[in-house]
Amino acid sequence: MAAEGHRGEGGELTARPGADETGTRPPGGGGTAGGVGAPFARLVGVSKSFGSTRALSDVDVTFARGRVHAIAGENGAGKSTLIKILMGVLQPDHGRIEVDGSPTAIASPAAARALGFAAVFQEPLVYPHLGVLENIFVAGPERSRLGDLDRPAMRRRAAALFEQLEVDTALLDRRMGELRLGHQQLVLIAKALIEDAKLIIFDEPTSILSGAETAQLFRVIQRLRSGGSAIVYISHRFEELEAIADSVTVLTDGRVAGAFEARPFDLDAIVRLMSGRETRGYGAAPAAHRAGTTGPPLLEVEGFTLRPYFEDVSWRVSRGEVLCFYGQVGAGRTEMAKALFGDLRPTAGTVRMEGKPLAARSPRQAIRAGVGYLPEDRKAEGIFATQAISENIVATVLGRIVARLARYVRRSEVRNLTDSQREALQIKMAGPSAPISSLSGGGQQKVILGRWMVERLKLLVLDEPTRGIDVMTKAQFHEIIRQLAEEGLAVVVISSDLPEVFEVADRILVMRRGRIVAEFANDGTAPPEEVLRQAVALDQADAGARGASANGNGTIVDVGGVSVLVPSGDPEEKEVTGQ
Amino acid sequence: MTDIGIALPKGVSPDSSPASSRVRHMLGRIEYEGYLAGVIVVMAIVLTFTVGSAFWGSTNLSGLLLDVAIDTVPAIGMTLVIVTGGIDVSIGSLVGVVAVVIGLSFEAHLPFVLVLLIGIVVGIGGGLVNGAIVAWGRVPPIIVTLGTLSVFEAITYQLLGGVWISTIPAELTQIVVLDRLGPVPYSFIVAVALVAVFSYIMARRPIGLKIYATGDNPEAARTAGLPIRRIQLFVYALLGGLTAIAALMTVGQSPLVMPTTGQDFELTVIAAAVVGGTNILGGEGKVIGGLLGALLVEMVEDAAILYHVNSFYQQIVLGAMIVAGVAIGVARRRARLGAKAER
Amino acid sequence: MSAAPIAPGRAAAGPAPGGSRAVGALSRLLESRVVVQYGLLPVALVGVLIAGEVLAPGVLSPSNLSSMTRFGVEIGILGFAEMVVIIMGGGGIDLSVASTAATTQVALAVLLRGGVELWLGVAISLAIGLALGALNGFFVIGLGVPALVATIGTYFGYAGLALVIANGVNIADFPASYLTIGQGDVAGIPIEFLFIFIPVAIVLAYVTSRTKFGHEIRLTGTNERAALLSGINVRRLRFSGYVIAGLLAAIVGVVESSRFGTAQPVADSTYLLTAVTIAVLGGVDIFGGEGTILGVALATAVVTILEYSFSLAQINSVIELGSVGVMLIVVVLGQVGLKSLRAYAARRSSA
Repeated sequence: MAAEGHRGEGGELTARPGADETGTRPPGGGGTAGGVGAPFARLVGVSKSFGSTRALSDVDVTFARGRVHAIAGENGAGKSTLIKILMGVLQPDHGRIEVDGSPTAIASPAAARALGFAAVFQEPLVYPHLGVLENIFVAGPERSRLGDLDRPAMRRRAAALFEQLEVDTALLDRRMGELRLGHQQLVLIAKALIEDAKLIIFDEPTSILSGAETAQLFRVIQRLRSGGSAIVYISHRFEELEAIADSVTVLTDGRVAGAFEARPFDLDAIVRLMSGRETRGYGAAPAAHRAGTTGPPLLEVEGFTLRPYFEDVSWRVSRGEVLCFYGQVGAGRTEMAKALFGDLRPTAGTVRMEGKPLAARSPRQAIRAGVGYLPEDRKAEGIFATQAISENIVATVLGRIVARLARYVRRSEVRNLTDSQREALQIKMAGPSAPISSLSGGGQQKVILGRWMVERLKLLVLDEPTRGIDVMTKAQFHEIIRQLAEEGLAVVVISSDLPEVFEVADRILVMRRGRIVAEFANDGTAPPEEVLRQAVALDQADAGARGASANGNGTIVDVGGVSVLVPSGDPEEKEVTGQ
Repeated sequence: MTDIGIALPKGVSPDSSPASSRVRHMLGRIEYEGYLAGVIVVMAIVLTFTVGSAFWGSTNLSGLLLDVAIDTVPAIGMTLVIVTGGIDVSIGSLVGVVAVVIGLSFEAHLPFVLVLLIGIVVGIGGGLVNGAIVAWGRVPPIIVTLGTLSVFEAITYQLLGGVWISTIPAELTQIVVLDRLGPVPYSFIVAVALVAVFSYIMARRPIGLKIYATGDNPEAARTAGLPIRRIQLFVYALLGGLTAIAALMTVGQSPLVMPTTGQDFELTVIAAAVVGGTNILGGEGKVIGGLLGALLVEMVEDAAILYHVNSFYQQIVLGAMIVAGVAIGVARRRARLGAKAER
Repeated sequence: MSAAPIAPGRAAAGPAPGGSRAVGALSRLLESRVVVQYGLLPVALVGVLIAGEVLAPGVLSPSNLSSMTRFGVEIGILGFAEMVVIIMGGGGIDLSVASTAATTQVALAVLLRGGVELWLGVAISLAIGLALGALNGFFVIGLGVPALVATIGTYFGYAGLALVIANGVNIADFPASYLTIGQGDVAGIPIEFLFIFIPVAIVLAYVTSRTKFGHEIRLTGTNERAALLSGINVRRLRFSGYVIAGLLAAIVGVVESSRFGTAQPVADSTYLLTAVTIAVLGGVDIFGGEGTILGVALATAVVTILEYSFSLAQINSVIELGSVGVMLIVVVLGQVGLKSLRAYAARRSSA
């Protein structure tokens, strides 16, 4: 791998002189106490539970000045809980946080900011109608002697910073909402530096960035490191770990599964730890699974495209089959499902259901065609929180259970449907009229599943069906999924939970950056590491492409002395806007 | 998709974009206020060529400018309230309260300047009530101000006791209506000065930035630790104070305080603000837009009189202007979203 | 008539898992929608009955009750109109109802003066109400103008339209047969109450609680995204809400002009506040998702008794309206307060 060849140089980067050639104040408050490599913030034995779910248990991790510390882990491994604790949004149940060696409570986001902690998220929180300059300085503007906003002074500071960050200073005159996400992130980095941030957290920053933007972000991170900032880099992209991380901590199921303090990283070991091969049970897939896979396809998807989410995606699923889409956050799976369901409008591609074209322009049409979709975000898109459980179950079938002439919704039907689902899914409830919000997360999810089971479906798409759900209910869900398939339903499961994928799937499709990159039959021959490897772009073919770069698949970009392959699949100029 | 589209600021060259959207781009580059000024100029030209002598006559012109001034002063505050994501439909009846209070104060022969101060304090008090319930009660602004609308009316009625107050000193009329610079009443100059002051505050002072931020993304503002509640309190109180100034002008214009004083006034002011380009969803809007909106609204009304159009049609036109003003704003945001080259 | 018509024992709520006994009891109480949404109603009803007796002794005499039912018909139906648009959420509200009522009544008067048959005239004016409601719906749903401003605009616009149609004056020459609607009675019960309000209330109660439409407006008001993903046509639903509001306002226009014997082109500006207050007091959640016709009808009784007592006690209508305004703010403050209390109790009991 080409990247490996540069590792030595990469290692020297930490103390690379001359990074600050402009002679102005180095970014990241380089003059702060403690030298490069000195510990800045430490989490000691930190645990955090939500109900019966342990999000973090006994986590120890140290973030040092002038180092990029990567946190790797599957979705749900506890990464976002970790960030929230650092940023004062959540308080740990146990353990402590030390800053510069002394125990520190981070009681609020304001307290985190005061400590010099800043976070840059994938979807930045910005003021879209305000100017870029105003966005940077809104909380602490520069003032003239009369107390006016001193725009020239703000502009000077911001421009100097922008130049160091290699950001076009013309952006300062734009309004924030006009900028693409990559530029918005850079602006937020500048904002963090203006506010004298000493620890900057990047949460999956590159998942929707173009190749050039990613390269620019990496250069910026290198400079921040040279300036003495402590960087926390959350990512699931292995080529990125290689390119910019100085150390890697692997989180699996809320525990520190391993830590790698120096390059070269043993990527194979990281994958193994992430997949939890040793620590989690991957039960042998039930043999009965394979039956449905041979039937004629129920649904055929060809060249399905909606940039920048997914591109040229083709797949098919049969009756009685459970097809799993595995991948990382931002791989485009949810958007693809929503496009199939008529909630988003794809720009290209065809969908055929039983041979006939299906182009759902609304969820309504999709449901009529026999497609159901259980959304990923239960609270925002799934439940009618204040409404009765029965009401939540019959939401989609109201039209079918009205009396013929008087058009009233037949209560007996509502009761029957509710009772049948209550029994079939073993939903524990005080009564069908209790609000759904009175149920646990797992109970709520069962009700929404019940909503689709009373519908006459041919295809059911389940988007992260068991996220945040206790182990018992999870197992129940898996059983139900298998059962649905056996009854002849085609089931598509979008999951980022590898054991779950192996538990329920007949076939596994791996998506990465909006494309299907691999297919596995779940017949016991596919090792979990290999599936994960595909999802995080650590496969032999890719490595070869990176090494050669001659096949035109991508461009090698020099990032502060480290080469990074930038896939050319990313449309840079013609990038389609927005969500 | 959230509404992230906004006009490109002047002097910024847009990214290369398909030729088909070039026109939309050019439209997007002109600030809304520019269009509005253009419409006003065109209207003035048309009026000049059709009913020029009547329009430019000093009686008509100064009457028009006084009306504009009375609308503009509270429109400044209304713009700020809407920028934070709120609305206030109670200011018409607040005009009534202030008018009665100053009327009674004049009757009690209190010193002239003291009466004016009392009026303004009462106005600020009314605004504080609205602002406090909105900020701390978390009740939607339309509900709060719909409620206080009737409460203020009741107060007006109670204070007035069923009679009209006509003992308004001529001094007030002199200052508000008769003192002029050429055909321009001082009131209008005051209004323009206030527009200048608040334009400066919104563009140059930190509080202006915070007001925009509050309405633009309340969640971000909250996490950034901006004092959202105090900002809300401030803009409603400011609107109350400015409404009091409008009440003083109204009483000067027609020196009689009646139970109906100020009725429906809030609708004209909201019309001025939204026609002036203030985004009803918050985060966007300029004080100067309130002035231009008031000019347009009052000119349409004036033109209707000059053309002897039945006054009933004025209401229809005003209603249409409100809906059209907001609809154009919504459509522009959508169009810009399509034309945007970046992101 | 509750939000969950399928539920026989709707007050049943799950036992609070853990937490102190008091918090558990509190959360059980708060979990019951009946308590949160309608708890204020009986209190308010008793309150106004007492206040009425104090202000105007003998306010509840049969003849007064008869007058009250007449009095409450118009504001009650407008309360239903607000309920339908508010319940669907998304900032739904219709501020133009009073102007729509004004437009339809003067249109009816002009038609009747022109010799049009009574039934046809009424049908046309109801159709005008539908059309004006549809125009509101077009502005809000089609053009994306927030309901608040769109209907402020049409409040103005329709008021002007009414003035134009009537040429600015009251029109009084109605045929005698028409006046029986708003002035006649059967055994002391006003005809408009018996043959308009009661049927309208029953039909609306049925439509909004028992039919698919009724279920869907609640679901949409509770969670618009979930409704969309459940295959509900949210746009069409909301549009039809404004059409229904327009129709109800037109009915009010007809009833009002018959009661007064004149068609008045100037919109009654007190209608709006009273209608919104009645809706909210009747348990309609201002943020959407909850509300019943029964609740709104009871709230109509509360407000009507209050207003009637005030007028019997010779208290000016402006003062009376002021007290309605106070009631509106207090009720919504109470709603918001109870909601956060409920959220707090839920947090405590699940912690």
